[in-house]
Amino acid sequence: MKTMISTVAAALCTLTVAGTATAQGILILAEDVPAGLNYDGPAAAIPSSQQGMVTLLEPLVGYADGETVDGVILPDFSTFEGRLAENWDFDEESLTWTFNLREGVSGCGGATFDADDVMYTFQRAKSVSGAAPIGWFLSNVASIHGFGPEVFGDDPAAKELGDSIVKIDDYTVQIRQAEPNALLLPVLTIFGLLIFDKEIMEANATEADPWSHDYVNNTGAPGFGGYCLESWAKSEQITYSAFPDYYRGAPDATRVSVRRVPQSSNRLVVLRSGQADIVTGLTPREFNSIADVDGLTVAGVTGNENLFIHMNFDVEPFDNIKLREAIAHAIPFEQIIATGYFGEATQWQGLVPSTYPGFTPATGFSYDPDMARTLLAEAGYADGAGLEAFADAFALSYVSEKESTLGPIVNVIQTALRDVGIPATLDPIPQTQYGDRQLVKRDLPFAVNDQEKPIGVDAGYAIQLFFVSPENGGLNNMVNYRNAELDAMWAEARIDPDSASRDATLATIQDMLAADVAWLPIVEYRTQWAFSNDVSGLKWYPDNSIRYSDLKISE
Amino acid sequence: MLIRYITRRTLIGFIQLFCLVIAVFFLIRLLPADPVSRLVGLNSSADAYEQAARQLGLDRPLLQQLGIYVGLFPDIEAGLFQGSLGVSWVTGSPVGSEIAVFLPVTLQLITIAFILAFFVSIPVGMLGALNPGKAADKGVFVYSLFAGSQPEFWWGLLFVYVFYFQLGWAPAPLGQLSPMTLPPESVTGFMLIDTLIAGEVGKFFEASHHLMMPVITLAFILSGPIIKMVRQNMLRALQSDFILYANLIGLPRKRVARYALRAAMGPSMTLIGILYGFMLSGAVLVESVFSLGGIGQYAIRSVLAFDYPAIQGVVLVITAISLIVYLLLDLIHAAIDPRIAY
Repeated sequence: MKTMISTVAAALCTLTVAGTATAQGILILAEDVPAGLNYDGPAAAIPSSQQGMVTLLEPLVGYADGETVDGVILPDFSTFEGRLAENWDFDEESLTWTFNLREGVSGCGGATFDADDVMYTFQRAKSVSGAAPIGWFLSNVASIHGFGPEVFGDDPAAKELGDSIVKIDDYTVQIRQAEPNALLLPVLTIFGLLIFDKEIMEANATEADPWSHDYVNNTGAPGFGGYCLESWAKSEQITYSAFPDYYRGAPDATRVSVRRVPQSSNRLVVLRSGQADIVTGLTPREFNSIADVDGLTVAGVTGNENLFIHMNFDVEPFDNIKLREAIAHAIPFEQIIATGYFGEATQWQGLVPSTYPGFTPATGFSYDPDMARTLLAEAGYADGAGLEAFADAFALSYVSEKESTLGPIVNVIQTALRDVGIPATLDPIPQTQYGDRQLVKRDLPFAVNDQEKPIGVDAGYAIQLFFVSPENGGLNNMVNYRNAELDAMWAEARIDPDSASRDATLATIQDMLAADVAWLPIVEYRTQWAFSNDVSGLKWYPDNSIRYSDLKISE
Repeated sequence: MLIRYITRRTLIGFIQLFCLVIAVFFLIRLLPADPVSRLVGLNSSADAYEQAARQLGLDRPLLQQLGIYVGLFPDIEAGLFQGSLGVSWVTGSPVGSEIAVFLPVTLQLITIAFILAFFVSIPVGMLGALNPGKAADKGVFVYSLFAGSQPEFWWGLLFVYVFYFQLGWAPAPLGQLSPMTLPPESVTGFMLIDTLIAGEVGKFFEASHHLMMPVITLAFILSGPIIKMVRQNMLRALQSDFILYANLIGLPRKRVARYALRAAMGPSMTLIGILYGFMLSGAVLVESVFSLGGIGQYAIRSVLAFDYPAIQGVVLVITAISLIVYLLLDLIHAAIDPRIAY
């Protein structure tokens, strides 16, 4: 009996060992695997799905490599370089961009990349036939001619590319803008305009679904990326195999398996045991716990992730600027950095990510409880007297699913506010409810937010997104900030072809936002990954997804 | 007679399901959240938002949405009457085919866990009842107290730490198979059965090995209340008149215990049936700890994403299974207890 038990045990142990990473193959443990691969589909807003898209598809344009920080290569946002487009030029008079496409690029399906693939991709975006029109939205943001709201009407002609995007020859495409707009190249780097392989897409189209949304939602995303889809079980695992003919060179990791492991503690424990190569989505505490473990590397960059306090201008007493300033001086920034992020964050001195072009540092946000009390008195609430009438407004909302990360931080904030007389309470609410109240109802009075990452890498884009009033094109003005002067300045800056003058206007706007405490910026925290020492070459991208083709694997 | 009873119960079950469909349809729409904002992300424009709402059909009147879901407008979209549970708003896949993937994982897990818990609990519960107040009884009390007093995810994480990380006896908690193993072709959706159908014995052992820890965790938790129930009912049965009489006339101890067990099994089976129905979605924490993509995980994901078709589909399927389990329970009761007749 003993012999039999030990034989079975040995067999099972062998099976376990056989399941670990193979040479040049890597295992990544993540919170989830792609729910879909269609950026115009229902899973477009989910980060794990975006990770799948950027693995299989390529953009026309990318950023050049910049400096290396903590072993991670950062992009140089001031320098664009070709991806599927080899080079381009811009005619200011006609607002037309001419893209010369790269020749000799092939995809996993065997098709050769050419202008038809680009035309197909933009035509599909303009069809607005998917569940979420992200491709159209980005084209609209970049002022591509013909990509206005008229596409949602009943006129089929409005959905045609017309002379807005034109194929000149097999390797030349022209894109015309409706007005000067500096966002065209930044937008072309984003996952929502990655290029599809037209041949495979059309081969999988049906009469009911001519743009192959079902296929991309559920089967695969054919493109020209460094990896081909090998297998995909939603909510379980996705496996990619390296494409040896990838135009940027065959990837080092020949096979990448991404496994869904919902519990972050389990991701951590499996990485520590040596059975996984990279893990994502750990809490700051967990990253900190393995910072000194032999054989493992924890790397991070200050990219575009940040934390701020949201105070709604439409809710009393947050319309009182002195009260906003009092709260700004009551926040113990350093304590939050130490308690919430274990030192892996810096105070955010501005209202757009400090890495973005056009960022201007803002002053005036410092921890000074005495100043806070003085300002509170000037606001008409000496020692907090009278604020008890606004108990509902001072319920500090945050996403309950992020309790393990945000819990310690909101407790620090609550304690600090109470110290100066502000009766803050805590109000954890589910993500969907938070999103609804933030985006649709815009009625969250007081909240902590750590999930705003403008996908367009530009201070102007961030300003339009968060601070321009909705009636003037603001997209996610969650605090109902309204400033007619700012709106007018942005309207000019948006179409200002002179980048120096545009940057100067953006700097003035950022100063105005800081003076009004439009948001209360707290910290910029580091985007982190933990991986085995066999892995290197990690680069950071603004979508926070890893490009597996960047990775180098040592035996 | 029995067939008439089953037919009547099935018809009542359909009426219950229909009422549930209506109730769930309206209740989830009362919740204070908006699925469209999740769909388009927080950085999108009002035009994109409205387009997404149109694509989901949320711009239609509520009663028409219900009609479409039920299947009264098959020209717009197939509904329940056409055998369709709709399309997930998160993945774009048919909800029916997604449930067909997730449900067998949970059914396999909880069925094996219940079988294990059953075969552990009956003798242990009997042991306690037959030796009241003695060391064995105290041991049973302590075991059932431990098993029933801590949440399953805590035990799961503890087992992972001890048996995987420290001792290396268990595989990594990474799902039904190792990440580098290709799963067999899905025939039934039950991994153990599919590996055998494919003739891949190695993968069968691997799947069994991966299932070991979650099954033990769940069986450990489940055995607590079952042991208590068996012990209590056995004690009550042992004090009943017919058992006292059996003892009095000198029947063998084993036979008396068997009579008592049969009498004690009725309430215990009721508990097991209720627990099984509950565990269909209640095993979610064990599924999460061991990275098993089961129906509980699917339900949680659907609720968090406000994926209305998926939520409705999960509720409908779990309720249907629960109704079937309760029907089977009644039939088992009739088999155990000769006083019950249909």
